[in-house]
Amino acid sequence: MATPTIHQPSTTTATPYAGDREVVIRTENLWKIYQMGSEQVAALRGVNLQIYRNEYVAIMGPSGSGKSTLMNLIGCLDSPTRGEYWLSGHLVSALDDDELARIRNQEIGFVFQTFNLLPRTSALHNVELPLIYSGAPPAERTERAMAALQQVDLGSRVHHKPNELSGGQRQRVAIARALVNRPSIILADEPTGNLDSTTSNEIMALLEVLWERGNTIVLVTHEHDIAEHAHRVIHIRDGQVAGDTRTRRGDAVANRPPAPSA
Amino acid sequence: MGIREAIAVALGTLRAHKLRSFLTLLGVIISVCTLVAVVAMVQGVNTYVGSKIARLGSNIFSVSQFSLNEMTNPVRFMRAKETNPIIRYQDYQFLRANARLPRAIGAQTQRTGTVKHNGRSLDEVNISGVTPNVLGMSAFQVANGRFLAPTDEQRRAYVAFVGPDIVTHLFGGANPLGRHILVSGQQYEIIGVATAQGDVFGQSQDNFVMIPLRTYQKIYGNQDSITLDVQARDARLLPATMDEMEMLMRVRRHLSWNEKNNFGIIGSDALMTLWHTLTGAIASVMVGVSFVFLVVGGIVIMNIMLAAVTERTQEVGTRKAVGARRSDILWQFLVESAVLSTVGGLIGVLLAYLFTLAAGALTPIPFSLPLGAVVLAVVISTLVGLFFGVYPASKAARLTPIAALHSET
Repeated sequence: MATPTIHQPSTTTATPYAGDREVVIRTENLWKIYQMGSEQVAALRGVNLQIYRNEYVAIMGPSGSGKSTLMNLIGCLDSPTRGEYWLSGHLVSALDDDELARIRNQEIGFVFQTFNLLPRTSALHNVELPLIYSGAPPAERTERAMAALQQVDLGSRVHHKPNELSGGQRQRVAIARALVNRPSIILADEPTGNLDSTTSNEIMALLEVLWERGNTIVLVTHEHDIAEHAHRVIHIRDGQVAGDTRTRRGDAVANRPPAPSA
Repeated sequence: MGIREAIAVALGTLRAHKLRSFLTLLGVIISVCTLVAVVAMVQGVNTYVGSKIARLGSNIFSVSQFSLNEMTNPVRFMRAKETNPIIRYQDYQFLRANARLPRAIGAQTQRTGTVKHNGRSLDEVNISGVTPNVLGMSAFQVANGRFLAPTDEQRRAYVAFVGPDIVTHLFGGANPLGRHILVSGQQYEIIGVATAQGDVFGQSQDNFVMIPLRTYQKIYGNQDSITLDVQARDARLLPATMDEMEMLMRVRRHLSWNEKNNFGIIGSDALMTLWHTLTGAIASVMVGVSFVFLVVGGIVIMNIMLAAVTERTQEVGTRKAVGARRSDILWQFLVESAVLSTVGGLIGVLLAYLFTLAAGALTPIPFSLPLGAVVLAVVISTLVGLFFGVYPASKAARLTPIAALHSET
């Protein structure tokens, strides 16, 4: 189901970047089987992936393809039935609940389709939330949350509550929250699904800026034109990797000198 | 997550749902209010009664037909009615003749009756026959005229010393001295009026007619037991004086060493003890009732916390996604439940305080908020919140992040 908007590179299995870069995400033969009544449904059937530091990857697939399940596993929200998952050198597929919570806190920054901000709570406090759970002292918390909000151009609205912000602004707050603990990856699940196209473009531009600043971004989407913003697209179909391609932007980036962090 | 963040979150939720929180807390509010108000009331009433009993005159006790122990138990009372003879005028004379320690011994007996004057009548008046020396042992003073004199006693005169209620109701407030009242078909001349003492628990203390004891016995016979009021010379001599009275009464009754007293010696401390027993019983019933309220209140809190967990499943998911551990979520909801309940406790204390203010203004009873009860009530309400928050909080803590994130709210 290749679409004309995505440029097909020569190979579908090789990684688009040079092999000497640091691997952030590595999965080996990842399976997830759900028990539906008496029936077993395999949502993932042996997924092998490698994502490198400062990559901008989109995971694409139709609904029911297993991409949400994959995202949950990558985000450490769930544990695989079989297989291994390494995140920044941690074998997270073997961790217990509290250790997974710590990984989610330190290594992953979530951006959700529905923003998932706490209502009745200021933007600043929403951004401070991961720092509260990592036990940062209050003064440092505020300072870092302010800095994160400034990164997403919301420095002037830190005391606004979610219902006083537009959809785009809410998503910026959510992105600031994802950034604030300097995670290994930013995991954005349909980040523009609830936004109009203008605002969507702003958010995608912001993600691009974050990538420029050295962040690793994993984008989960079913929209081609959103996936096109990424540099590499991993297609998921029937619980397996059905394609791993470089986008036009990815080609452009690959022909540039390496990113500063490399 | 620290305690301060948890409390801030809890107070925020409380503010966001003011009406719901208030309704939820009604049980806790009522129970804490009852608890504190009852303790305040019992303390106030005890102080009040204590002061009233103290006003009877210090170092005074009475010798009566029955002991307090016998008067407060129906079985013992029925038995004592068989064994205890009435106290007669001759007993009074015997004690006066033989006792050496008391400063004074007075005697009185009483019944209720109707008092009439000029076509007007007053029912339920306390008619007492007294010896002239009870004046110094009673709470009232002479406001007008004079008290009964020894000569009235000797002559068995038809004279009466009356409470202010008689003057108000039968004489319309006019000076009654020298005028007559009719009690049980007999005319008495009013020779004196007492100072007003007001009400005790709505019972007027000024609704009485006092006539000489001998006159009383002439009219009503001598089958009513009389009560002897004995005043010791000072507090140190009070126990010895009580012993002397007991000894003399036993001698007069010819009781051998192994027989029990067939009369009662009642001191003000015994009265206070009896009173404390009564109020203690009332207080413990009320405290029990308020604990039932508290349990009901706790269950309501548990219910609302369960609803809050369901309602905020997505919040739990978000918190877990950004790194909250199970214990963080458990702690958050526990603190919320405890804060909710504590706020209810504080509102209850506030209401109890308002109640004591109002009751203090409307009654002569000195109410005060007992600090110990306030602290206890608030601590208990916190504990109730913690206890009944455990189940909802652990339910929230056990939510898996995916289920929580994908819940539709």
